[in-house]
This record gives sequence, C-alpha cells and structure tokens, in this order.
Amino acid sequence: MSLFSLSRKMKKLKLQKKNAQQQNDQLSKAIHSSLQDQINYIKEKTGNSIDIVIRKLQLKDGKGPDVAVVFVEGISDSKAINDFLIESIINKSTVPSSRPIFEILFEKVVALGDVKEITDWDNLYLSLMSGESIILVDGAQKALSASTRGGEQRSIEEPGSQVTVRGPRDGFTENIRTNTSLIRKRIQNPNLWLENMKIGSVTKTDVSIMYIKGIAKDEIVEEVRNRLKRIEIDSILESGYIEQLIEDQAFTTFPTLYHTERPDMVAGNLLEGRVAIIVNGTPFVLIAPAVFIQFFQSVEDYYGRADIATALRFLRILIFFISIIAPAAYIAVTTFHQEMIPTQLLVAIAAQREAVPFPALVEALIMEVAFEILREAGIRMPRAVGSAISIVGALVIGQAAVQAGIVSPAMVIVVAITAIANFATPAFAVAISARLIRFGFMFAAATFGFYGIILGIIILAIHLCSLRSFGVPYLTPMAPLILANMGDTIIRLPLWAQKKRPALISSDNSNRVGDHQKPSPPEGRGMVNSVLEKGDQDEN
Amino acid sequence: MKIKKFLFFLVILGNILLLSGCWSKKELTDLAIVAALGIDKNEEGRYVGTMQIINPGNVAGGLQGGGGSQGPPVSVITGTGDSIVELSRRASRKLSRRLYYAHTNLVVIGEDLAKEESISTILDPLERDAQFRSTAIIVIAQGSKASDIVKVLTAIDKIPSNKIIKTLKFTEKTWGENITVNMQDAVKMLVSPGKELAVSGFRLSGDVDKGKKMENTQETEPSSSLYAGSLAIFKNGKLTGWIDGETARGSVILLDKLNASAFGVKWEGKDEAIIYELIRQKTNVMVKMEKGKPRVSIEVQAEGNIGEASVSTDLNNPDVLLKIEKEIEKKIKKEITMALKQAKKNKSDIFGFGDALHRSNPEAWKKMKSEWNDVYFPEAKADIVVDAFIRRTGLRNIPHQVNK
Repeated sequence: MSLFSLSRKMKKLKLQKKNAQQQNDQLSKAIHSSLQDQINYIKEKTGNSIDIVIRKLQLKDGKGPDVAVVFVEGISDSKAINDFLIESIINKSTVPSSRPIFEILFEKVVALGDVKEITDWDNLYLSLMSGESIILVDGAQKALSASTRGGEQRSIEEPGSQVTVRGPRDGFTENIRTNTSLIRKRIQNPNLWLENMKIGSVTKTDVSIMYIKGIAKDEIVEEVRNRLKRIEIDSILESGYIEQLIEDQAFTTFPTLYHTERPDMVAGNLLEGRVAIIVNGTPFVLIAPAVFIQFFQSVEDYYGRADIATALRFLRILIFFISIIAPAAYIAVTTFHQEMIPTQLLVAIAAQREAVPFPALVEALIMEVAFEILREAGIRMPRAVGSAISIVGALVIGQAAVQAGIVSPAMVIVVAITAIANFATPAFAVAISARLIRFGFMFAAATFGFYGIILGIIILAIHLCSLRSFGVPYLTPMAPLILANMGDTIIRLPLWAQKKRPALISSDNSNRVGDHQKPSPPEGRGMVNSVLEKGDQDEN
Repeated sequence: MKIKKFLFFLVILGNILLLSGCWSKKELTDLAIVAALGIDKNEEGRYVGTMQIINPGNVAGGLQGGGGSQGPPVSVITGTGDSIVELSRRASRKLSRRLYYAHTNLVVIGEDLAKEESISTILDPLERDAQFRSTAIIVIAQGSKASDIVKVLTAIDKIPSNKIIKTLKFTEKTWGENITVNMQDAVKMLVSPGKELAVSGFRLSGDVDKGKKMENTQETEPSSSLYAGSLAIFKNGKLTGWIDGETARGSVILLDKLNASAFGVKWEGKDEAIIYELIRQKTNVMVKMEKGKPRVSIEVQAEGNIGEASVSTDLNNPDVLLKIEKEIEKKIKKEITMALKQAKKNKSDIFGFGDALHRSNPEAWKKMKSEWNDVYFPEAKADIVVDAFIRRTGLRNIPHQVNK
C-alpha cells in the first residue's frame, strides 16, 4: 500500500514539474521586441555558430526601424537571399508612415514565393534550421520567414539498388522536395496529397506522407499518420528509423514495409492505394502497407510482356526457396534420406564425402559461414582492394577447400547456388531475411532431416500468416484469398486483364481499366486487301 | 509477458534441437551401399547372402586421389544365417559400415534355392523391410549360384548390378526374350491364383574366380561375363523349368510385354529371307467357358517395318506386302503356340489366363481355382488370331540386284 501511494506521489510530482517547465517554455517562446535582444537571443541559443549569418540592414530611405536577416549558410540558397531579400530591402523599401513596416516588408519588399509570419521562437528556429531566412524587425514581436531553402545536393541519378533494363532511369536523392517532385511529375493529379511533419526531437527531420485521395484507404492513411505522430525519438537519420518504429511486428525477419529508390515504383504503389513515407536525407522511400508477394515483383514486370513477367515471378519464388532450403536439403539428403537421390548421384556424393572429416552439418556451416564472411568483406572493403577479396574467395572456397579435403565439391555447388539465388532475389530486404532463415533450416535439417525442413516451412508459413502490415494480412491476396487480385501475384496478367486494385489496400474506387481493353487486329482484312489491290494496280 | 512467452518458445525450440540430437542420423561415410543381394542355400541348409557393396571412391570419376581405377568398384561380403534378416545382421561382423539396402536394385536368387523352396519366403523379409525397394529387380542365377553372379566384375557399367539391370531392360526393349520383373510384380504374381511367376534368368560365362579380378574388366573381351539367360517358369513359387529362344519370345508376346523384336520369315523358298522389325504389339486375351471347359481366345496385333530383304521382291506392291504379313502372322502364331505348349507341359499358367477367366466368369473361376494349374489350364483350348501390319519398308523399296 505504502509503495503504491509513494509511486503515485512521485507521478504527481513529475506532473507538476512538467507543467512548470511548460509554462517556462511558453514564456521564453514569445519573440522579444528589441532587435538587439532578438539577435542576442539567437546567438546565445545557437552557441554563436559561425555558419549562422546575421545581417543587419537599413531600409532604403534610412528611416524606420532596423531590420536583420538571419540565415544558415550552406543549407540556404545564398543567391536568392542576396537578390530577392537583401537587395530588395536595401533598394526598394520605403516606409509610408501610414502602415507598419512589418506589413510593407511582407507585401511589397520580400520577392520570394513562400513567406510566413512567425510569432514564437520555436517556429523561428525550425524555419531557420531548415534553410529559410528569417527577417527580424526592431520593435515587432514577430518575424518573417522566407523560403530560401537550398544548398548543395546530389543530382538525380540512376538508383543503385534496383536496376532495370527497361524503365525510367531517375532515382530519388537525399532531398525530400526533389523526391516529392519526382513523384508528382508522374502523377499529375490534384488528388495526390502530401502531408508534412517534423519527427525527431533533436534532428527535426522532415517526413512526408504521400497518397492519392480517393484511391488510398482513409483508414490506412489515418493509421500511418497516427503511427508517425506517435514517434518520440531524438533523431531520424534514414527511413529505416521510421520503418523500425512503425512496423506492425517487431520480431520477424520479414520486412513489413517496402522501401525503394525508384520514383516509378512509388508512383505505381500510390496508384494501387498505398501510402508513401518520404524522409528527408535519404533516397529510400517507404511504402505501406507491404505484402509478401510485393517483394518478388519488379517494376520491370509491368513494363515487359505479361507471360515473361509471370515466368520470372515463378523463377523468383523458386529462387527464394532455393536460397532458404538448398543447404538444408543437402544436409537432409546426405545424413538422413540417402534413398531419395539416384544411386549414381549418391555414389558420386559419397565418393566426395569419403575424404571429408566433418559431418554434413559442420561441412555446410563452414562453407556458409565462409561465404557470409566473404560477402560481408566484399561489401565493406574499400573499392581498391575489393577485387582481392573475390580472388582470395574464389581460391579458398572454390578450390583450396576442396583440395584440402575440408569440404566436398558438391557442397561448394550447393553454397554457390544458394549464394547466386540469394543475389537474384529482387528485393534486398527479403534476400537478407532468407539469408538468416537459412541457418535455422540447416539446424532443423540436421536434427530431423526433411521432416525438420517441412516443419520449418510450416512454421514459416504460420509466421507469415500471422504478420500484418498496417492491418493488411501479409499474404494477401493468397491468404485471405482474393481471386480478383490474384492476377498480380505469382502470375502477372496483362494490364487489360487486371481490372481491380488490391481490395484490402485501396478504397472502394477499385476499377483501374476500362472494359474491352484487350487489343486485337482490326476486323476483316480490308487493310491488307486494299494494299494488295493497290499493288496489283501499280503493276498494271 | 510477450517476452516471457518468446523465451519459453525459445527454450522449447532449443530443447527439441539439442535433446533429440540428430535422431537416426546416418552419415554417408558410415554407409555401405548395397547394390545387389544374392541369396543361396549352402549344404547345411542355411541361407547365404552375398552383398555387392559399392566402393564409392572407385566408381565416381574421382576428383580426389586422382582417378578411381585402382581398386574394384564393388566389394562383396557374405553372411550366413537361418533367415535372411539374420544373415544380413550377421554380415555386420565382417564390415566396418552399416549395410544400407535403400539402393539395392537387384536381387539374385540361386537356381537351386529357387527349385527347392518357394521364393515367397525370400521375398517376405525384403518386402517387409522399409529400406528395401519394392522396385528392386529379381533375377534367377541360371546354372550357377547367386553369389557367382554377384561377384563377377563387369566392364562398361562399372557396378555389376547396374549392368545386369540395364542389360535386362534393353534386351527387353529390343529383342524381347526376357522380361524385367521387380519385387512388387513378383509378389503380385505369387499371391494371385490365376497367374504364375515368370522371371528372367542371368547366366555367367567363364570362371568366377577370374571374373572376380580387376583384370577381367581390363580385357576387351572379358573371359568371364554376365548375360541374360532364359525365362524361368515358376509354379507355386518354385522354379519348375526354363524356356528360351522363340518359345520365350512367344511367352513375352502372350504376356503383352513385347516392345520390339525381329522375326525372320520364309519368302520365295528361302528361310529367313525377310526380316520383320516389330515396333508395336498388343495382345488381348479372353477366356470364356464353353461346354464347361475354358476356351482362350488370343488376339495379337503387331506393327512393324521390313528391316531386311535378301530376296528380290517388289515391296512397292501392296499385294506382296499383304502376303508377307500373312507369313509374319504364321510365324508369330507358331511362337505363341510353342510357348503355350511349354507352359501347359509345366502345368504353370504364367500368362494369367486364370485371371482373365476370373474377370469374365467369376462363378466358374471359383470352382476351378484350386485345380486350375494342374487340370484346367493344360486342357484349355486356345484360338490364336494374329494381325500383323507392315508400316514401312525402310528407306529402300525394292532390294538391289547384284549383277553377276
């Protein structure tokens, strides 16, 4: 009892403290009226950082109060500040006595598109730190912020992570505005809505959610909005931060949000009713909700022919299974189910294993771990020494290990196939989870043989069924089965046959293609005949 | 709470993995892969099993150790016992590995043993065992002991059991005096009262002791070699006789198992003047009761090409072809008659006439069942109708004439 009351008291105390602090904050928020105070306060708050430029100015006619322009060098567009702000304040501003200087500045002097009035310090710092210029006026308890965001940024390049043969070549950059513009250029529709928020108590990172009103489901948009608002963290440095904080299930190796560098992919997903989460400072845009089958799709599937896309998707599913169970199947076959492979093959494998001193599991682990080391080294190594890795790797894994009798050639083949299969998975996020699950399957196979593998697959299937992405079951549209959407899963029907948008993801506005869109040759042979007739006449 | 659950799950999972400890795991290097099993009986009346064990290192074109031709591809061990299971277990005293029967594709049964006792007693343990394949092929060691057949090394197919199986399969496909019978088929025929077992024999030419050595396989013409023998006829599971040559081929036709063969017919006074290459064959057997006696009607349809013509004939002429077809029909009919006669003599219904009767007239079959082989089958009259058809005459129509 006493403990309980104590804890309640503590809570009360904390609450009081918090209230007091808030009041204090509010007091400090109001902007000072004296220009010198304002400048001093800014200097004090920013620790006199040298990249914060404070420029005191006099209006053109020398009358009126002093004005100061404050901006952060490097993240703002200095040309715009010079030409449209400082220049016009110095040269154009005249002060009629009838109106306050502040309004004049707002309406007549500042020659920039986006100008806001700010009344408290918090917003002032937000604007300042995002690259906007602040105009302070002596005697006014408010400030103007002019949008002069700019600074150095990477140009639009081809994305490095999702390369296609056919398809647009532009990729997202680190700049959020560039990124949203790339999407807007593709969907020229006022219903493409963009909401902005700042997340991260220290970094104040710009995070935007983008969706098409009327196609995206309102509940899902609301859910995304709420989850983003819920985030309390000091920093957001990459969209991965957001992903980890808003995903449905934390304990899983499978990604429940899709991330991509390709604007066309984001546009395609927005058109299916999904929501894009764009984070400033990273080219990776999150897409929610994501379903399992999405990770086996590539944008190119939609640009190429349907039959080929379907075949490729079958291949990718196969690849996924290979990358999960190939080493496990090797272990199971060589230690439990020798009867399952043809005699000749068994004899060949047995001959290779004859010299190997380890049981199959250890052999497989050695090779898999060696490969993982190589792969990790290959990614982290500086480019100049990168080629050394592949040579050493090829020698160690490919030949020396076999000749030394540590592993059998069959194992090398298995590891190689697994590795290639893993690289061939189109979505990196799923490839990486397959990489991890593989080891689980290897242990299951070493313990129970194929029985263990099947158990593992069942557990995996149950796990996948239990996953949700923003409330949408992960295996949609296979489980729950939605026949109308099966046309874009393992099989990819031609666009004219995919009439419906994903049922659980998009809102009721679900028809995407008109009727009778199947292309066909013109009826009759009139065109051909007329040409032939013409040819005949020409001969005469 | 969730973490607790998760930990609990993790502990259980860990226990399952660690406590079960690779249950029934068998490493490849601990297995003796038995390719063939030969079964005989010795003078004391005990079973002798001869296991042909694959030496993996010597079979597969070795990467390690440079070439695998130093040792023999197979090693043979024998075990003796009062039962098959006993002899197999007892053989472990001579072997450093576990006998692994899942890849045993061949069972060789000694002729003496097959004559002496019903082979169903031998097949029972093999069929009962989970490892043993029911698709293993059964042959009878004709004129020798099963151990001799198992011991001889062969040249082209390094593993002798493979050689035997493949020989049987290909001769069945191209010549048709032999049939391949696997364990499942054999057991089916053994338990069926309306059909008796017929199995191919395998023979050894030359000396066993020479055949055991690697030198045997290093000759272009091995002094000891294995070849497909005659067709063994069984009655009540015991071997009663052998049929071979045209009689055997007639039996295979009657069993509707002939895939291809070559028939020579007499033409314009010359024996074997025209050779008919049979490519397709279908036999229908119907058994009906007529005046209280079974009457068998056999319809054979054959299709084939002219493979050889050594007499000048106008093969463009359809009438000639029709006449040749008539000759072929006569020839096939003769072979079938011979086969029937032999089977009747042995009082063994290897053709399954009993089953056919069972299908067409179950009432009558019930009465005759017990004495079918001994009384009714030998008495049964057969009407044989053969319809041969020449599909093609080959790339040449009229045989060329040598100007003398």
